[in-house]
Amino acid sequence: MDFYLNLINTIGIHTMLGLSAYLLLQTGQLSLAQAGFFAVGSYTAAILTVIFQWNIIPSVLVAMLVSGFLAFLVGFPALRVKGLMLVVATIAFSEFVRMFFYNLKWRVTRNGEEIGPDGTMGFAEIRYFSDNGWSNFEVTLFLWSFVILIMGVIWWSDQSRTGAVLRAVGEDELAASSVGINLTVVKVSAMTAGGFIAGISGGLYAHQVTSLDHHSFTVLLGTFAIAYPILGGLSNVFGTLVAVIFIQGLLVEGLRFLGDWRMILFGLLIVLAMNFKPLGLFDKQTMDLIKKAIRV
Amino acid sequence: MLKIQSISKHFGGVKALNELDLEVEEGEIYGVIGPNGSGKSTLVNVICGIFLPTEGDVIFEGQILSENPTHQRLKKGIARTFQNIRLFPNLTVWQNLWVARNSVEDIKTESSFYRWFGKSSIVKKEIEKMLEFSNLGNRADELASSLAFGEQRRLELARALATKPRLLLLDEPAAGMNKDEIRDLDGRIRSMQLQGITIILIEHVMELVMGVTDRIAVLNFGSKIAEGNPQEIQNNDAVQEAYLGYSEDD
Amino acid sequence: MEDFLYEAVEIIQTIWDGILFGSTYALIGIGFTLIFGAMGKLNMAYAGAAIAGAYVGLAVSLFFDATIIFVFAVSAVISTLLGYIVYQTCFRFIPTHNHLAALMASVGGLFFIDELIVLATLGSPMNFPGLFEDAYFEIGPFGIRGDLLFVFLIGIVSTLLLLYVLFKTRLGMATRAVAQQDIAAQLCGINIHRTNSITFSIAGLLGGIAGAMTAAAVGVLSPVMTVPLTIKGLIVTVIGGLGSIPGAIIAGLFVGAFENFFLYIRGIDERDMYVVALLFIFLIFRPNGIFSKTINRD
Repeated sequence: MDFYLNLINTIGIHTMLGLSAYLLLQTGQLSLAQAGFFAVGSYTAAILTVIFQWNIIPSVLVAMLVSGFLAFLVGFPALRVKGLMLVVATIAFSEFVRMFFYNLKWRVTRNGEEIGPDGTMGFAEIRYFSDNGWSNFEVTLFLWSFVILIMGVIWWSDQSRTGAVLRAVGEDELAASSVGINLTVVKVSAMTAGGFIAGISGGLYAHQVTSLDHHSFTVLLGTFAIAYPILGGLSNVFGTLVAVIFIQGLLVEGLRFLGDWRMILFGLLIVLAMNFKPLGLFDKQTMDLIKKAIRV
Repeated sequence: MLKIQSISKHFGGVKALNELDLEVEEGEIYGVIGPNGSGKSTLVNVICGIFLPTEGDVIFEGQILSENPTHQRLKKGIARTFQNIRLFPNLTVWQNLWVARNSVEDIKTESSFYRWFGKSSIVKKEIEKMLEFSNLGNRADELASSLAFGEQRRLELARALATKPRLLLLDEPAAGMNKDEIRDLDGRIRSMQLQGITIILIEHVMELVMGVTDRIAVLNFGSKIAEGNPQEIQNNDAVQEAYLGYSEDD
Repeated sequence: MEDFLYEAVEIIQTIWDGILFGSTYALIGIGFTLIFGAMGKLNMAYAGAAIAGAYVGLAVSLFFDATIIFVFAVSAVISTLLGYIVYQTCFRFIPTHNHLAALMASVGGLFFIDELIVLATLGSPMNFPGLFEDAYFEIGPFGIRGDLLFVFLIGIVSTLLLLYVLFKTRLGMATRAVAQQDIAAQLCGINIHRTNSITFSIAGLLGGIAGAMTAAAVGVLSPVMTVPLTIKGLIVTVIGGLGSIPGAIIAGLFVGAFENFFLYIRGIDERDMYVVALLFIFLIFRPNGIFSKTINRD
């Protein structure tokens, strides 16, 4: 049972991570910095509950604000660099964040025990849930309420004019500004919103796994973050969820018996998917097919 | 209404516009013609704020537009269409009109919630009016990329119109159109003029320009070589020389 | 005073070693640059393919007890092949305007290659033969490590050969034509897919050499080298000005020197942080790279 709850939690966290890149991708910004914002969220929330003994909800909210603010700051220089330069700059940013935490040492003594981030050794004493007697099921419920809330908000924005504006910027910036869309506002907002979401998911992640290690926040994680929405397609949020379930549920967990072959399979799958479905598995074509099937 | 004051625009060593002066009166249809590479499209981009001029000022209704970005100039009432149609291909026809800034003052009185979701009756009515204008009423839910060429041109025009411009720049709107479509476009341009929109028409198709415009400026190598009403331009030696390489008097 | 002199000599020595090692970054940077120039796209699988080439070269040397030159040759050939395969699988059939899909596909390619290496080697690092490891030249108070000098010379020779091919042969003309104006080049009868696959292959060739050079200079080969090499290669490409070959060369040597300097004064844990910070400084103050835009096409 715990195994499945853990898997469901992982899926929830990765869904949020994927959604944090979703809005950015709609505006045509390819950011690999999501792993960095995620890491900032994890460390911030964990430091608040462990060292300052805060309640988890304000900790996660502060983590969200810190990551979002950082994303806002990254958003402005990111306006100047476009396309592939942005990819390189965001990779570099997330590596910078990772190395910052790799070197971060902040140990305090509480009840005779040393706690806090310990540089290269990681940050291992994040026991908020067990200290407060939360059952695994309660953790899952707590985590998924955030997932559902975020999915709901983004789904809602997709239906509204916001969604159309974000996509318009992604399709043609010049045309978008020529019909009165303020590119700076749209792109920086998308970046900031992505930072908020990554911060929440990082904060929850830290408490779910109970220990942090800089190895979890490599470019690989940033790649996963953009892979979910790209594979799932940018037409709606459910594509991202399905992609996460497919990759984390089926590929990573379900095929565990394949060992290292899974990652090879993952690489191959991305290559194949992009060749046959460059707009994502759930592009308009697929959605139309699904709609037709439902009607029949 | 619009004053171009000794504008120059250089790209490296190339002088796309060279100390150009133009003045467009309110309510007129002002044609800009000239051979390829004479700086017509650069002029549009300078007026819209996509390029900043190397020297000189764009003055719109008495205000100097020096560093206003494109979207702010649109807010002031300057809209445009593109020479090579630029729609949002993967948005629907409806969404293409929806993202255009709806600058109608009275929309603000409605709840922003409804406005944002396009359920506002005013926004809906505005968009439907535009759909009707572009004869695309029954295709609102199709992707813009699925439209035929002529329909895309009409949609782009409607999208520009949806922003309620006071000055509309049309960058070669008749390119690639057949005779019927040009006649249709002619009618649309006149009807926009009747709605009080000032129009700058940049065009190669003489049939359209000579028929519809009130005044015409002729550009060559980034400078104005002639200005006047269609008759005057047709009989101007300098113009014929620029277009044909010689004048009839030679 | 003597301490100060000693320190100064050490620092100059450090920077000098870094420049020599930087030739590997320069080659990787050139590879990214070539592909970017040709297609306007990033091939994320590039450094992975370079390391994979070095692995195959190493395997061959273990089986046949081959000389180091042979190892380099095998690496280069394998990476060339991988470059071609990556083009065919990750770029050839994806719509040209869809940058996201091509980038994602090449990331998939990187995973694939990387994990294949992990699987084949069980993830453990392997010793890589250096050459002239014992050689050491002394010039006054400074020394030059033989293995680094060897790596540097190979880097220079490969770069010169590349420049010759690009600027003096018909093949190079076609490649540059596609890079500058792809549609015009097609109208002139240049087969764009053929030219692109050749560009990818040439870039792969350089990558294979660079991969083997890196391994020879460090002395080990490990699958964890691919991501840092990718990142440094990208940083070099950006600092050099996207699409500029001379820029990539200078940026590569510069980044090598810079990182070795910070390795010396701040230690291994913080070194890469400063390299990344260097990139940010460039992005803010000189977003077009070392060379300004006007000359960054060639």
